[in-house]
Amino acid sequence: MKKIVAPDYGLGETVKSHAAAIKVAIKEAILPQTVTSHYPRERRRMPDCFRGYLRFDPEMCISCFQCSFICPANAIGMREAPDNRYYPTIDYGKCIFCYFCLDSCPGGALKPTKVHDVAYNDVDEMLTPTCDMIDMPDLIREDERYVEYKIDEHDLSLERVKGLDDLAVELPELEKISMVSVCVAPENCLSCRVCEEVCESGAITSTLDGDEIRMAIDTTTCNGCGLCVKECSMQVLRLVRREI
Amino acid sequence: MAAAGKFEWKIAIVNKPLKDKTYFENLKETVIDTGICSRCLTCACICPVDGIIAAKPVDFPDYKERCTDCGACVRVCPRFDYKPKYGMGEYLEFIAAKSNRFVGQDGAMVTEIMMSAIEMGMIDRALFVGRNDEWMTEVFHVYDPSQLEMGTLTGTKYTFATVLKDLKKAVLLSKKGVGIVGTPCIVSGVKKLQKEYPLFRERVKLVVGLFCTENFHYEELAAFLSEKGVDYNRLIKTDITKGKFIATMEGEEEPVTFKVKELEEILPSGCSVCTDFTAVEADVSVGSVGSKPGFSSVAVREKNAAEVMDYIREKGYAAFGGDAVEKQLEFLINYKIGRFYVETAEEEGRDKSL
Repeated sequence: MKKIVAPDYGLGETVKSHAAAIKVAIKEAILPQTVTSHYPRERRRMPDCFRGYLRFDPEMCISCFQCSFICPANAIGMREAPDNRYYPTIDYGKCIFCYFCLDSCPGGALKPTKVHDVAYNDVDEMLTPTCDMIDMPDLIREDERYVEYKIDEHDLSLERVKGLDDLAVELPELEKISMVSVCVAPENCLSCRVCEEVCESGAITSTLDGDEIRMAIDTTTCNGCGLCVKECSMQVLRLVRREI
Repeated sequence: MAAAGKFEWKIAIVNKPLKDKTYFENLKETVIDTGICSRCLTCACICPVDGIIAAKPVDFPDYKERCTDCGACVRVCPRFDYKPKYGMGEYLEFIAAKSNRFVGQDGAMVTEIMMSAIEMGMIDRALFVGRNDEWMTEVFHVYDPSQLEMGTLTGTKYTFATVLKDLKKAVLLSKKGVGIVGTPCIVSGVKKLQKEYPLFRERVKLVVGLFCTENFHYEELAAFLSEKGVDYNRLIKTDITKGKFIATMEGEEEPVTFKVKELEEILPSGCSVCTDFTAVEADVSVGSVGSKPGFSSVAVREKNAAEVMDYIREKGYAAFGGDAVEKQLEFLINYKIGRFYVETAEEEGRDKSL
């Protein structure tokens, strides 16, 4: 067996490092430099790209179900509202805050917030209905300051600022990948015109032309919501990237 | 990639016999209400709004609100613009065979052909008709031989099944292809689907037809059989041999038998106009008539089916009992044609004895 021994730095080095340690200890005793924030009296300021609880704007929603399709945790359910349209509900017991829903929303109806700390009494309460998603989540704000971490060359320090941090985020309109619906297998089309019926933007039209039905997708007005793709029973429609 | 502007395509519309009515009303008046509907459910398969249901008779309860009048149902209905098919049809070979691997009605060749096609990689799912304890039919998507262990997927049920209603789903889910088993009317429906829509031409790779004289509505057959003393809970096998219906029950030595003729009173009207006994349009037709007991008669009609049969031969999955006898089928083929003739004669008020 080999015994592991501490390296010998020599007397000069040892004294030097001990002195440095004592210096830090004295400095901390006089002017403490803690990096722990005192939550909930202090709230950490999150960056704008923070993925917190979601807000929802029904006016922008086109009921395309895209958010509920893409949700990998199956947390989003679509419920019928009194105006006969379907709006999303989020089960925060399942949500993994991946923000795929927000990214896929063609109308921009889902909006980000920096809220990450909502308390519930039971699991059922975590299923948030649409009406509760319109305003910011109910929070009891006890914070008086917000803190921000500063990382300089050697050290991490806290910067405390008095006041309440705004948790709502207004993102500038992001440049999204623009999609458009096209028919990939016209020979399988039943001409049932279900796509025309569900199209919110009126991009799909059908006209009777002699003994033929002429179906057309106006690619300039198509907003790429994919509703027609979902509804097509023969799956002849597909969303593709719009050519710019 | 789509260029900016318009993306266009055209679909030819189908002729309507009744001009001022929707396509479904046309179908209802010319096929369903006249009683020639075979309940093959091809229309339910293609209906884009999924509105056509397998009731008795086939119906679209809320068509006034939901029907989009696309005409798909009349495009695929085998009885719309009906041209009866009859005879033995063309075939490459007509042989007697018996599966070494599976147990079924006779030689279990339908199961063997489907499972071999899955093994070959020709198809990746096959639509089978199973039953529950009450002998109601249910459709199963089979993609692995282990699924057959439940034992209710093989064997004849003599009851209408909603296989075709599941075909579109199966076709859209499958990657390689779908195999389907059905009565001659179902086969005609599938062939019409394949003729009209390339999706089905590409994906439905194997169509197995069954020899069929008639098929019954569940409620009527159930009532009839329980009157005859058949206990559905103990029933394990139903069969028709030599003009007799045989129902074998668990724990009973003697099966319940009676003449098939007696079943004529519950014969669905759609079956009485059908003259196709051997499923002439199928890729391969299978039945019990024409071969020894315990063997199935297999009429291989198309190349794809011949490939499957070659594979079965190569692997030794089945025992072959020589050629099946076509002559033995003649009686039933003629019986069906005769029945059709009597039916139409009745309608036209002609002498039945003709």
